[in-house]
Amino acid sequence: MSASRETFAFLRDVRVFEAFSDPDLAAMVDRLRERELRRRQILFREGDAGDEMFIVRRGTILISKAVTGKVEQVLVRVEAADFFGEMSLFDGSPRSATAQAETDVELLVLDRESLRAMTDATPRAAAAFFYAMVQVFMERLRRSTQQVAEATRWGLEATGLDVESR
Amino acid sequence: MEQPAPAKFELLVRGEDEEDFKLREVPSVVGYINSRPHRVDPESYEVSELRSRLAGPPGFILKNRKTDRFLLLSAQERFLWDKMDGVTSLQDIATAYVLEYGEFDFDIIPNLLRKLQRAQLLTFEPRSRLRKALARNRDRIVVKAIELVLTGLERIRIASRNVHPFFQRLYRYGGFALFTPAAVVACIGLALLGVGAAIGLFRGTRDVLEGFGGHALMALLTVKLLFFASVALHQFVHGLACIHYRRRVREFGFTFLHGFVPTFYVDVTDIFMVGRRARVVTAVTGTLVHLILGAVAFMVAVMSPVGSFTQAFAAASGIIQWQALVIALYPFCFIEMDGYHVLVDVLGVPTLKHDALAYVRGLLTGTGYGRFGREEALWLGYVVLSTISVAAFIAFNVWIIATATS
Repeated sequence: MSASRETFAFLRDVRVFEAFSDPDLAAMVDRLRERELRRRQILFREGDAGDEMFIVRRGTILISKAVTGKVEQVLVRVEAADFFGEMSLFDGSPRSATAQAETDVELLVLDRESLRAMTDATPRAAAAFFYAMVQVFMERLRRSTQQVAEATRWGLEATGLDVESR
Repeated sequence: MEQPAPAKFELLVRGEDEEDFKLREVPSVVGYINSRPHRVDPESYEVSELRSRLAGPPGFILKNRKTDRFLLLSAQERFLWDKMDGVTSLQDIATAYVLEYGEFDFDIIPNLLRKLQRAQLLTFEPRSRLRKALARNRDRIVVKAIELVLTGLERIRIASRNVHPFFQRLYRYGGFALFTPAAVVACIGLALLGVGAAIGLFRGTRDVLEGFGGHALMALLTVKLLFFASVALHQFVHGLACIHYRRRVREFGFTFLHGFVPTFYVDVTDIFMVGRRARVVTAVTGTLVHLILGAVAFMVAVMSPVGSFTQAFAAASGIIQWQALVIALYPFCFIEMDGYHVLVDVLGVPTLKHDALAYVRGLLTGTGYGRFGREEALWLGYVVLSTISVAAFIAFNVWIIATATS
């Protein structure tokens, strides 16, 4: 199996490409770049500029956010077939967290230029892409809300602060 | 409704190299027991005693001068309030409470914390003074290295909380024999024989230690390692004593005490639920392991050919075991071992070391107070005796090593 056939088969399992037709997916394969990271290599840091999103093909990426000094909170582990970095792809804002390889990692990279090309050339595929993206965003928003609640619970348990009877 | 598991954070701690990191899971319970509640500064509150005309212990009124809020504290709560100095952790405060009152009410500390927080009389200091000092001087390579080592060692903890049935079986299948009059007689007999053997060996120390040949230092280190195994046995006997008094053994494990002393430990805090005698017996019986092993080692040494390796090895083992016995039972060495806990239990001064060091620090820096009563005499006596004892202990070990290697 050639590398592009492998990528094609892999993208079938990626949520944002699930609704793509075969020709649209084949076109997408050509638009993605491959990138490898060795274990512990930092892909980008919180605050860096960026206009790419990444799809994990193999390995695990740790997404963490600075808390204090050299301590960061691990927000999420991104595993194979999941993606990250899409916020900077859409709004061009600085990276909101740091991404670092926990293991040796293979990534597929989608930059803003390729996204625009896809939107122009295959609007139906682009609509499916954005629809799936919104669904993933909502799931992540729910997870973030849960994390905030968990962090609050941590603080209450660690300090013994009583708020029920206040 | 089922109580959820304690909340956890997964933290990524970066190392010196930018890409290097370590992952740590920090459950909220760790934050809680290590937190150091700190009462507000003395100008912000005042306490007055509330004596009852009826029989009963006095109560106390605690006033927040800034908010004009008043709290009624019991004598026990006042005791806890006095401990909330920003230095003592909640774990240590709970221990002090048990030693003071001989019982523990699991709700009293959380309830008091809530009351004090509502009255804005409390803040929290979450980290130890040592770690704060190390963090302040992190730019020095040596300090940085110490901090890294301590952090690494602190994380090592192998423990099981399901050990009570094991200790019950150990007690049922023979452990009970340790708590019989026959065992006491045997222990005394062995100790006397051991003392006799040790005196005999002491007269010919040089001949005995010659058995090490050219490998004295290596042999002494091996003896130390073997001794480490006897520490586990020491903890087992503490656990058996706890079972003997029908209390629960809560945990057994291995950790690095204060971040750098490798040790086995057993959690027998349930013994505080019974009387002082049980606490003393539990504390003392564990240390008797070293008395017996030391006595046996000295007897083996006496019976071995003079100048042989076996004799030297057994004699060194005996010395180390009896040193351990002394350190564990002798309360004046700045270490809070079994003897120290018995002493503070008997004296009824659970924070003896803490108070004594604070008093002497005050004297040395000129910030102390002039009064000198029984309490101050006890504090001063503790620090002086401990200093002399530690110096003597170090001198004795230097002499042993010098004799063995010369």
